[in-house]
Amino acid sequence: MGSGACAPRRRAARRNGRVEVAFWYAYGDLVRKVLLELVARFNESQSRVWIRAVHQGDYFEALAKLRTALAAGAAPALSHVVCEVVPYLARAGVLEPLDAYEGAQAMPFVPALAQGGSFAGGSGQPTVAIPFNRSTPIAFANARTLEQEGVRPPTTWEELVSVARRLTRRASDGQVRWGFEVPISWWYWVAMVGQAGGALVDADGRPSLGGEAGEKALRFWQRLVHEEGVMRPPPGRDYQAWQSTNESFLQGRVAMMWSSTAFVRYLEDNARFPVVAAPLPRDVRASVPTGGTMFVLMRTAPDEEKQAAWEFVRWMCDVEQTITWSTRTGYMPVTRPAVERLLDRGWYVRHPNDRVAYDQLGAVAPWPWAPELFRIERDIVEPRLEEAVLTGSDARALLDEARREAERPA
Amino acid sequence: MSPRSRWHPWVMLGPTLALLVLFFVVPIGVAVYESFFSWDLLTPARFVGGENYAALSAHGHLLGIAGRTIAYSAIVVAGTVSLGLALALLLDRPGRVFAWVRASIFSAYVVSWVSVALLWMWMLDGNGGVVGRALRGLGAGPVSLLGSVHAALPTLAVVGIWKLTGYAMIVFLAGLQSVPPALLEAAALDGAGPWSRFRHVTLPLLAPTSAFVATTSLVTSFQAFDVVRIMTQGGPARATELFVYAIYEQVFLDLSVGKASALTVVFFVLLLALAALQLRAWSARMGVDR
Repeated sequence: MGSGACAPRRRAARRNGRVEVAFWYAYGDLVRKVLLELVARFNESQSRVWIRAVHQGDYFEALAKLRTALAAGAAPALSHVVCEVVPYLARAGVLEPLDAYEGAQAMPFVPALAQGGSFAGGSGQPTVAIPFNRSTPIAFANARTLEQEGVRPPTTWEELVSVARRLTRRASDGQVRWGFEVPISWWYWVAMVGQAGGALVDADGRPSLGGEAGEKALRFWQRLVHEEGVMRPPPGRDYQAWQSTNESFLQGRVAMMWSSTAFVRYLEDNARFPVVAAPLPRDVRASVPTGGTMFVLMRTAPDEEKQAAWEFVRWMCDVEQTITWSTRTGYMPVTRPAVERLLDRGWYVRHPNDRVAYDQLGAVAPWPWAPELFRIERDIVEPRLEEAVLTGSDARALLDEARREAERPA
Repeated sequence: MSPRSRWHPWVMLGPTLALLVLFFVVPIGVAVYESFFSWDLLTPARFVGGENYAALSAHGHLLGIAGRTIAYSAIVVAGTVSLGLALALLLDRPGRVFAWVRASIFSAYVVSWVSVALLWMWMLDGNGGVVGRALRGLGAGPVSLLGSVHAALPTLAVVGIWKLTGYAMIVFLAGLQSVPPALLEAAALDGAGPWSRFRHVTLPLLAPTSAFVATTSLVTSFQAFDVVRIMTQGGPARATELFVYAIYEQVFLDLSVGKASALTVVFFVLLLALAALQLRAWSARMGVDR
């Protein structure tokens, strides 16, 4: 039972004289299509490196495989992982420090999306993660329904309740159009904790899970589901719940939802009604976490492969690729030059939903640089959110229990 | 009868024994050992004694998993045995139509669990699914069976029954072939009606078949994973978190090898207890027979 970081090194893989880099990636549908197009374009653009993209399921499945492969000494050189797990992987010593790589220190990232801005204390750490598909939670509404009901996207929690009431319709055949839907998931709860004025860890680094704000967020969800009857908790967990929410929205069974900026293009392209995006409503303040993933290089990979992987990562962060990736999916453009070019081209005027996502970056609450963060998310908080919302259990008791568990060493 | 050399039995047993030790005894031993450590695969393990067991037992988590697994298995076994037997009795008739119906029912068994799970998710969808629409037609409102804390587990069990009943039916049909017609005729001549013939002739003769179907259904239902992974991921609010899925979740999604190992050990002990009960029931039966 040792550390995966000590796994033996192998020789660099080659393909037709090029250095072959295995790139494990997660997610499907449109983003997968766009990513594979970019990988193919990179492979055609030069003759030194061959990126072999391997699909590994959703984020959490991909992470499970990556950890197992790291422990077995069979990890790829390049992958991308959710933000919350970066501090843990960094502490485990499996991520390649990138500061010494060519151009690493001068990459003009949008501060809120890079390691330094995504984590409180992230800039004091060696750079191990490069922003890739970054997002924030965002509200989407069926513009036609809003117009029919004479309401505008809510800007506060109280407005959310009243607008959702107006939008909820129960037909005589039992069919319901829900006013509001959001996956009962860590990411959205964290957003609400921030909006209610809380933070996941307190000033001395203890996992407070938002304190009163954490409970307030849970009670607000309980109110929407049980008291107001305006929100349907989607079935399934993780991305199944996200997908279900998107589907319900596209089929007109939900008038308003919270989802990710990553779905802006997908929703716009597939809805039979105009889709309008809005910032998440505030309680005592506006606040959103960042989401999505960051590129990481595995420390145990052969040096040649790491150099080749870095070449690809830099290429992906070039203006053209950043713009292609962002405009075709909805993920945030991660570099300032890309944003400036989009502004110059009038992209945000023509695509106001993208503008909403970009403007919301001003309300980003960084994640704590806490190696325990991912365990707290998956093992401790996530299961209790569902329990609180679906069974109506006491929010304070559940979060007290979660805090006690979070303070216990793993 | 005694072996020519005292090594012969060991030579014969050797290959099986080696495989058993390598793939069963050693992994269980490793799981027991690792259950006393906190380990995430990537950082060095730390000895924590019984803390993993304590953490799992806290808030009734472990009991919940065991209770749900037993409840799920009980529903699946009871449903599979009774429905399989009923269908076998109903379809134990000559003719192409019956053969086609038998084949149709059995076909569910050869479909992969993943396909079955996806098919049922589509049928159970609260708004668009066939079942959802039927329930709405009955005035039940928009019901999401998989989204309900109380209905999700029985719903998964129904999916399990649907999948396994075809297999049970075929085994029962084979069992019915071995019931001597002469016995049934004799019982009929003695004035026994259809129910009496079934109750006092067919059913006792089908006892070994029933035991076989019950045991295989029990084993399959205890191993339930795909259907949970695809349809509910253990939710809502852990309502469908069964043992194998909970182990998967602990080790792969929650980064805790120690807790997953502790769960494996408890699962092993539970299965051992069930096997012991079964053996006891069998030996009691043998005693009666002698």
